[in-house]
Formats: sequence, structure tokens, C-alpha cells
Amino acid sequence: MNYFIIGDDDTVLGFELAGVFGIAVDNAEQTDAAFSKALEDSNNGIIIITEQAADMIRDRVDKLLFSAAFPLIVEIPGSNGLKEERKDLRTLVNEAIGIKL
Amino acid sequence: MKQNVAPTRSNLIKLKDELKFAELGYELLDQKRNILVIELLNLVDQAVEYESRVNASLDNAYDSLRLSVMQMGKLKVGNLTGAINVENEIKLRERRVMGVKLPVVETEFKDKGPYFSPLDTSFMVEEALDSFKESLELMGRLAELKVSIMRLALEVKKTIRKVNALQKIAIPDLRETLDFTVSRLEEAERENFILMKLVKTRLEKKKERM
Repeated sequence: MNYFIIGDDDTVLGFELAGVFGIAVDNAEQTDAAFSKALEDSNNGIIIITEQAADMIRDRVDKLLFSAAFPLIVEIPGSNGLKEERKDLRTLVNEAIGIKL
Repeated sequence: MKQNVAPTRSNLIKLKDELKFAELGYELLDQKRNILVIELLNLVDQAVEYESRVNASLDNAYDSLRLSVMQMGKLKVGNLTGAINVENEIKLRERRVMGVKLPVVETEFKDKGPYFSPLDTSFMVEEALDSFKESLELMGRLAELKVSIMRLALEVKKTIRKVNALQKIAIPDLRETLDFTVSRLEEAERENFILMKLVKTRLEKKKERM
């Protein structure tokens, strides 16, 4: 199985250096289309998506993340650096499942 | 209280068995919950650590990429990506914790260096490539941990619900029904006893008169 990267220009360029195929996006429609395309190919085991891109299609990403099915999703900071006020994993689990850790 | 249970001896035996079963189930589920929570906490700690490692490694990668783009121009770096022949392969295995399937991700790289001619290219490209490879490997682990956490957390939630249902509803219900049945049976026994006594005294009186 392969990785797949969705993100801004620079991020995709960087990951392509490491042999990861990806689509560069910069608005919500493109992200949506890229995401659908990534899901179509069952060979994509892990989808890497930048926070900025994920925010544009937050609903779809979260749905997939919490449905616990394949592919696995990792959100990473984009090339513009970390997003401010990001949620850490504990709060994420807390919100999704309602268990306090 | 459980409805529609006639206070008979056979029902009493059944209820006792049921209560024993429920208590056993409660104990087992409680253990399961504890094990899952410990595993979950463990995974969350690991994931937090991996997240910071991924972020640090990505920072590094972006920096070197930016430098190489500055030195060579974006177009040239873009062209290079086509030339670099790095293949990565994810291997997925499964491990089980208390019946929950968790993925185990291993990333393998198939590549042969040198990837491109050092002529006219920046050294930073190599640096960026290495950092991106490193972050990819870390990210595979991070994805594994995140998905494991989500799945485990769901299972914990389910188990907690079951434990609570048993502890707060099913077992007290059964106990109450059991108590009710026992008291009714005892009451019936006492009634019977008194009835027998009455009959006995009447029979004795009859005998005396005759």
C-alpha cells in the first residue's frame, strides 16, 4: 500500500521527493476532488493531509478518521508552519468519544 | 424490578444462576475495561510523543526544501522529483488487544542512491529528501497510533456502557427480584406452617371429644 499526500504546493513537492504521489490544492473544491480521488484508489493505505487542507473539508476528514476504516489519515502541519490553537490528541479523543483521559 | 416472575422455587434457582452469571460478566467486563484503559493511555502517551517528533522532523524537512527551492528554483526541484526513484511500501499487520483489531504499520523504502547528479543541484535537496523520508516513517507510526486510539476508545466506551448497565441496572434488578421471590416463598412457608398447626390442633381437639 502507498501513501498519498494532499496539501499545498510546497508540501506536495517535498513529499514527491520522497516518492509519495500527491495532489496540490489551494481551495475547498480542489481539496474535495483530491480527497475523493485519494479514496478511490484502494491502494492508498495512508492519506497525509495538511491541516490547512483538512480544515477546508473538515466534515469529510473527521468522518473518515472516526469511522475507524481504511485508509488511515494523518494530519500534518503544512509548509507554512503549525496552525495556532491546535487541538491535542487528548482533546480530540475526548470530543470524538466522550471519554476523559 | 423484573416483571412477571412467579415466586416459585424453580424460578428462584433460575434467578440465582442468572445473578451469578451477571456478576461473573460484570467482573470480566470490569477487567476488560481496565486493561483497555491502560492500553489506551499508553497509546496516547506514545502518540503525543510521535506527534512532536513528526512535527520536528517536518519542520526540518520544510526548511531544507525551502533552501533548496531558493537555491535552485522551484521548477528545477520539481523536475528532480521525477528523476528520483524512491518507492515506499506500507506493510500492514494486525494486532489484537482484548478482541479489538489494531493496525501495525511498517514503512519500507526501496531506493538506490545516488538519486541524481550532484552537478547543478543543491546539496539541500538531498537533505530535504532524507528528512521527508524520516517524517514519512514516523507518520506511518503516528497513523497507526491514532487509528488504534480511536478504535480502542470506541471499545472502551462500549465496555463502560456494558459495565454500567450490569452494575447499575441488571444486577440490582436481579437482586431485587431474588429478594422478592425469597420473601414470598418464606411467607408461603410460614402460612403453610400455621395452617398445618391449626389442622393439627383441630384434629387433636376432635380426638379428645371422641
